[in-house]
Amino acid sequence: MNIYVCVKQVPDTETKIKILPDKSGIDLSGVKWILSPYDEFAIEEALRLKEKNAGSTVTVVSVGPERAKEAIRTALAMGADNGILVDAPEGADGALAAKAAAGAIKKEPQVDIIFTGKEAIDDGAAQFSQFLAKNLNYPCVTVVLGIEYGPGKVQCRREVEGGAVEMVEATLPAVLAAQKGLNEPRYASLPNIMKAKKKEIKTYSQADVGVSASDQKVRLKNFELPPPKQAGKKIAGDIATQAKELARLLREEAKVI
Amino acid sequence: MTWQTWLFLPVFFGAMGYSLLQIRRLGKLMKASTGKTRVMDEMGARVRETLINVLGQKAVLRDKKAGIMHATIFWGFLIITLGTLEQFVSTLVEGANFEFLGSSIYQALVFFQDFFTVAVLLAVGYAFYVRLVVRPERLGKSKDALKILAFTGGLMVSILLMNAFHLAGTQPWFASAMIFSNLLSGLAPSDPSICMAGYTFFKWIHMILVLGFAMYIPHSKHLHVLAAGPNTFFKTLTVEKGMQKIDFEDETLTQYGAAKVTDLSWKDTLDTFACTECGRCQDLCPAWNTQKPLSPKAIISDLKKNLLRNQAAILSGKIEDVTPVIDDNVTEDVIWACTSCRACEVACPVFIEQTDKIYAIRRNLVLMESRFPAEVQNVFKNMENNATPWAFSASDRANWSQGLSIPTIQANPNAEVLLWVGCAGSYDDRNKKVVTAFASLLKKAGVSFAILGNEEKCTGDPARRIGNEYLFQTLAKSNIETLNRHQIKTIVTSCPHCFNTLKNEYPDFGGKYQVFHHSQYLVRLMNTGRLKPAKNFDETVTYHDSCYLGRWNSVYEQPRSLISAIPSAHFVEMTQNREKGMCCGAGGGRMWMEEKIGKSINIVRTEQAIATKATVVASACPFCMTMLTDGVKAKDLQSKMKVMDVAEILDQSIS
Repeated sequence: MNIYVCVKQVPDTETKIKILPDKSGIDLSGVKWILSPYDEFAIEEALRLKEKNAGSTVTVVSVGPERAKEAIRTALAMGADNGILVDAPEGADGALAAKAAAGAIKKEPQVDIIFTGKEAIDDGAAQFSQFLAKNLNYPCVTVVLGIEYGPGKVQCRREVEGGAVEMVEATLPAVLAAQKGLNEPRYASLPNIMKAKKKEIKTYSQADVGVSASDQKVRLKNFELPPPKQAGKKIAGDIATQAKELARLLREEAKVI
Repeated sequence: MTWQTWLFLPVFFGAMGYSLLQIRRLGKLMKASTGKTRVMDEMGARVRETLINVLGQKAVLRDKKAGIMHATIFWGFLIITLGTLEQFVSTLVEGANFEFLGSSIYQALVFFQDFFTVAVLLAVGYAFYVRLVVRPERLGKSKDALKILAFTGGLMVSILLMNAFHLAGTQPWFASAMIFSNLLSGLAPSDPSICMAGYTFFKWIHMILVLGFAMYIPHSKHLHVLAAGPNTFFKTLTVEKGMQKIDFEDETLTQYGAAKVTDLSWKDTLDTFACTECGRCQDLCPAWNTQKPLSPKAIISDLKKNLLRNQAAILSGKIEDVTPVIDDNVTEDVIWACTSCRACEVACPVFIEQTDKIYAIRRNLVLMESRFPAEVQNVFKNMENNATPWAFSASDRANWSQGLSIPTIQANPNAEVLLWVGCAGSYDDRNKKVVTAFASLLKKAGVSFAILGNEEKCTGDPARRIGNEYLFQTLAKSNIETLNRHQIKTIVTSCPHCFNTLKNEYPDFGGKYQVFHHSQYLVRLMNTGRLKPAKNFDETVTYHDSCYLGRWNSVYEQPRSLISAIPSAHFVEMTQNREKGMCCGAGGGRMWMEEKIGKSINIVRTEQAIATKATVVASACPFCMTMLTDGVKAKDLQSKMKVMDVAEILDQSIS
């Protein structure tokens, strides 16, 4: 099978986000970059599918600046075979990234299935998988918790609101967006880390895949940090007084009732 | 040439030839081991250690009863073997003997032989009693052991009867020197020809037992009589030992760690030959004593079993057919249960180094196969991304020091000592207080110190103990680059794991510093009068030894002397202390693994502390602090018993 995985490089979950002084964006200096955690589930699923189907290849595609190659290397170290990077500026949105990834994938001789994370943990937009499917004219299943593979089709368990699960069938090729719980991603073995260092990563410019700056649909104007967490308040008095005070605070200070 | 000579020659050469062939086979198995050993220099010290511990039986005698039993058999064996040699010579050449040594020497020789024959018999009797009646858990059930004792006892009985008949039949001039045989000869019949027949009969019984034993030994745990000496000679000489470095630059290396028993080193294999399954290691193992599947005794004999099971493949050079080191005996649970507390190694009378094998097997599991407890993956990721095993941001590392006027190395580049904070001191709320107390003491003593601040990273110890050498080396190299850039000469740390890694493991990567544990440093400050404990501390204090301070670095006394120096503090020892101190359960990366099998190690250790009726348990390690604090909480004894670091106790006593 020709298996593809689209991944994004994002700041580490423990990163302390700082806003640039002119509020135009996030201060990226000193950020530790990682592979977006949901994409790890996608890669793991791709690798397990490959292992079940001898002769398969897993190709990792990312859209972003040069540094995104590290995320591709991480995926290669887990066991993916090939890497493709489409060069794109910082802050490319889902629409641009999906069009670029689709452009790169269209250059490939054959595609059987595409995995990606349900969302990237930086902007949390959760749009890429659907944009990608639209660009390729494939079906798309999001928030996937489990996959049964059949000839030319897949049955996916996907999470819906309220913790319920629905079963969806899609014909292949399809885009499947992984949710946490789909699997337990593996830790790269050292021989695979060493091998990954030597693998070549194919690079395309935006022009190579037919993308231009006008494909960016979202313009970010201004950044602000959420207000710092206030210390908790302890309300004194008997229960009736406490309840009264709580109601007053919720109404007058928090303005939620 | 008599009929005895003609009979003896084929029997002797047949038996010894067989035995030598078996030993050659075992030698070949050792030679097939491909793993690296430590550097083995300092031959003089090795000879000395071997003399003290083999001839002198020093390590064996650390356990009094078993030690005296063993030393009796061992020294007896040496002196009786001279008699056996004489017997073989006299069988080959009739009338030949050792009397040419001179009458007084010869008399002394036969006196001691006779004395030890009875002494060994008594020792064997005691050993039978222990194995069959007392039956301590550590010995287990061993048919092999009973056969060995039967052989040894049979040898002694045959010697006694042989000598008794000999003395009765020939009345030699040295008869009176052989007190016991001489007494026994009084019971012999008066007919000299019957006595001589009895003598010849028991002499042959003895010789056949000796040769039979020689043939049996290579197939038995009694192989230790051949392997324990060399094993003592080739042991790691110092208490402090770093784990062995893997050279990742070496492109010829394709296997990291031990996937097969042949991936271990020849010294590891020799260790398995040297083990006589006495179980002293098992007695002290915190994993075994809390119902985990790991026994340091069993892992050594199981590795030997694995080797022997695979010997056909190994000896025919078909290494690819050798089955994995992880098998039905050495399971993954066994390998992950080890806290690397090293109680086993310190207890071993023949200096077997169990942790080397466990580390080698872990390395293969982690580096080659990515097989490890699931919860460890996040630990590795945290260390990779934020240089700490816990999920905290690298940029928050120095937050604990805010408002405490603790200078960074940039602010105080000429500090006399660098305070290495460690991840626990940086991020864990309880242990932040320990580092704060230690920093307060440094200030009270007027020490010019500094911290690396956010430039500090985890030393890599957890990754290394779990088997992730690659991640360890990444962190170690980065820290060494930082330390060398700031031209650091002296480091003090309150974490024994950081202490051990900085002191014993960083030198292999070019990081050479004078490293102190805070207990050592505080004792120095007290001895030079820079710190004077004055305020009372009206508590009963017991001290819990940290493994990486005690057994890995021989720091036992300094933490105790800090407590003893405080006015009115009443010090009590736990039953298991110093070399025999029980681990808190957090070493060897266990801090970050769930303890799913058996009783919790920290609870058992806490119970031992409670038994002293102490009101304060002193610790000198952040992980011990966490484990014991959890233990006291689990026992719901927070109001009666506090866990405090030695620095906190000292800080309270100095204004």
